[in-house]
Amino acid sequence: MRAGYAEVEVLRGVSLEVRSGDIVSIIGANGAGKSTLLKTVFGLVTAHGGSIRLAGEELAGRRPVEVLARGVSYVPQGRCNFPAMTVEENLEMGAYTRNDAGVRRDIDAMMQRFPMLGSKRVDPAGTLSGGQQQVLEIAMALLLHPRLLLVDEPSLGLDPRMAELVFATIESINREGTTVVMVEQNAKTALSISHRAFVLELGRNRFEGTGRELLDNPEVRTHYLGR
Amino acid sequence: MRRAVAWGLGGAALVAMPWLVRAVAPGQQRYVLHILVFTGLFAALALSYDLVVGHVGSLSLAHPAFFGIGAYTAALLATRAGFTFLPDTLAAMILAGLVAWLIGVPMFRLHEHAFAIGTLGFAMVTHIVATNWVDLTRGPLCVTGIPRPALGMGPVAIKLTSVPHYYWLALASLGLVALLYHGLTTFRLGRAFHAVRDNEMLAAAAGIDPRRYRMLAFVVGAVVAGGIGALYAHYITVLCPEEMTVALTINLLVIVFIGGVGRLRGVVIGAVLFTVLPEILRIAPTWRLVIYGGLLLAIVVRWPEGLESALRRSGRSRTA
Repeated sequence: MRAGYAEVEVLRGVSLEVRSGDIVSIIGANGAGKSTLLKTVFGLVTAHGGSIRLAGEELAGRRPVEVLARGVSYVPQGRCNFPAMTVEENLEMGAYTRNDAGVRRDIDAMMQRFPMLGSKRVDPAGTLSGGQQQVLEIAMALLLHPRLLLVDEPSLGLDPRMAELVFATIESINREGTTVVMVEQNAKTALSISHRAFVLELGRNRFEGTGRELLDNPEVRTHYLGR
Repeated sequence: MRRAVAWGLGGAALVAMPWLVRAVAPGQQRYVLHILVFTGLFAALALSYDLVVGHVGSLSLAHPAFFGIGAYTAALLATRAGFTFLPDTLAAMILAGLVAWLIGVPMFRLHEHAFAIGTLGFAMVTHIVATNWVDLTRGPLCVTGIPRPALGMGPVAIKLTSVPHYYWLALASLGLVALLYHGLTTFRLGRAFHAVRDNEMLAAAAGIDPRRYRMLAFVVGAVVAGGIGALYAHYITVLCPEEMTVALTINLLVIVFIGGVGRLRGVVIGAVLFTVLPEILRIAPTWRLVIYGGLLLAIVVRWPEGLESALRRSGRSRTA
């Protein structure tokens, strides 16, 4: 896949395959094209070339709302919620495209699943801690019951305890059958929970393998894991 | 209950305003109601503008163009084609909306500042066309003899010839626009508007197409602006290109930001302040505009979120 912004090509021939049911991590230095890759899959950035197929169906060139309808949800980077809306209203926004009667039941179930959200139901999302906000954003995405969840830097700006909570949440979502593709700077933890992982460098594949293989790869350890 | 009574009394006072004004200031009724007509029209126009600026967060500077397109459509249809008030106003609204949709397609490909400059360019071009296409608009000679509106047809037509009549028409129009504004900016659609305004990326992630919702607010805003333009043309009966200069955008921005961006009550307060305050300050004719400018500056410094935020805070502290 090739993609970028205006004249600048960020992805210069990235190729990766994600198997159903896996957690896949994408790591790499700043500017490697990790976030652009997720945005391109979700339709926020237009692919200049190549192909994006979900179970054989072409996604390249589709708008986000069409990608969403095919079972792909996206959790953007950073504290990406509606801070003035309450936790409950944010969850309602997550289910905006749903018109079925089960929305209310699913929101209640989400509150039970994540008690930290249930206890803050009527609080503005902006008043939640960083970790709680990240869990809220994942919960918003889950309300559409995605087949594939794209998560951009879920541990960004979180303290280690909160980051652990977010990674545990991602693992539990995966155990329930959702495939997860995660871009992450916290490479060590990301690799440790991933079935497969890819290392990008300047918009191209550099390494790939299982999480364990990359954790044990001396070059990856030197350049991306800090030892 | 108390709230309903207050609304009822307020509404009754607004409807009875022509009689109230005649009782309080018998010689000034025409003048006072004239100011109130302008207040109503500006409030409605500012609400339509706030749909775009305040609720989907697109700084459009094209609103004078839609107002002008509506005003000229109604004026020309009434004076040259013999259209009556309601059909020409309807045509004005449709044409303004259609033009908004046509220019919205390329404009919404632009982002933030580029969008603002693009819409400013469109507003300037529209003004230049109105000034120079003399065969159609009579340019600086203005369209004259625009008839006062009449509601109904034939023998049952009610001609709105007096200022009180027009005051009620402006009040009813403001009420309708306020209802439309409330309907669009609350409930499910309002949430989508605010999602687009507050976080475009997250809105897209939730399946809300930012461009589509921005376009919707832009076109609805233009339709209303076109309708208000038609009412304005029928009220003042003379229409010149100066009515649609970019200065109108500045006035609308002042109304929206002084009152409270994204707030129905705030925008109406802003319109009242914008139209009534300069008239009150006529007691000091030499310093009038200096005082007016100083007051606006003081409001912005003291309540940067607009007067409505101050009212909201004082309301909250009273109930606490």
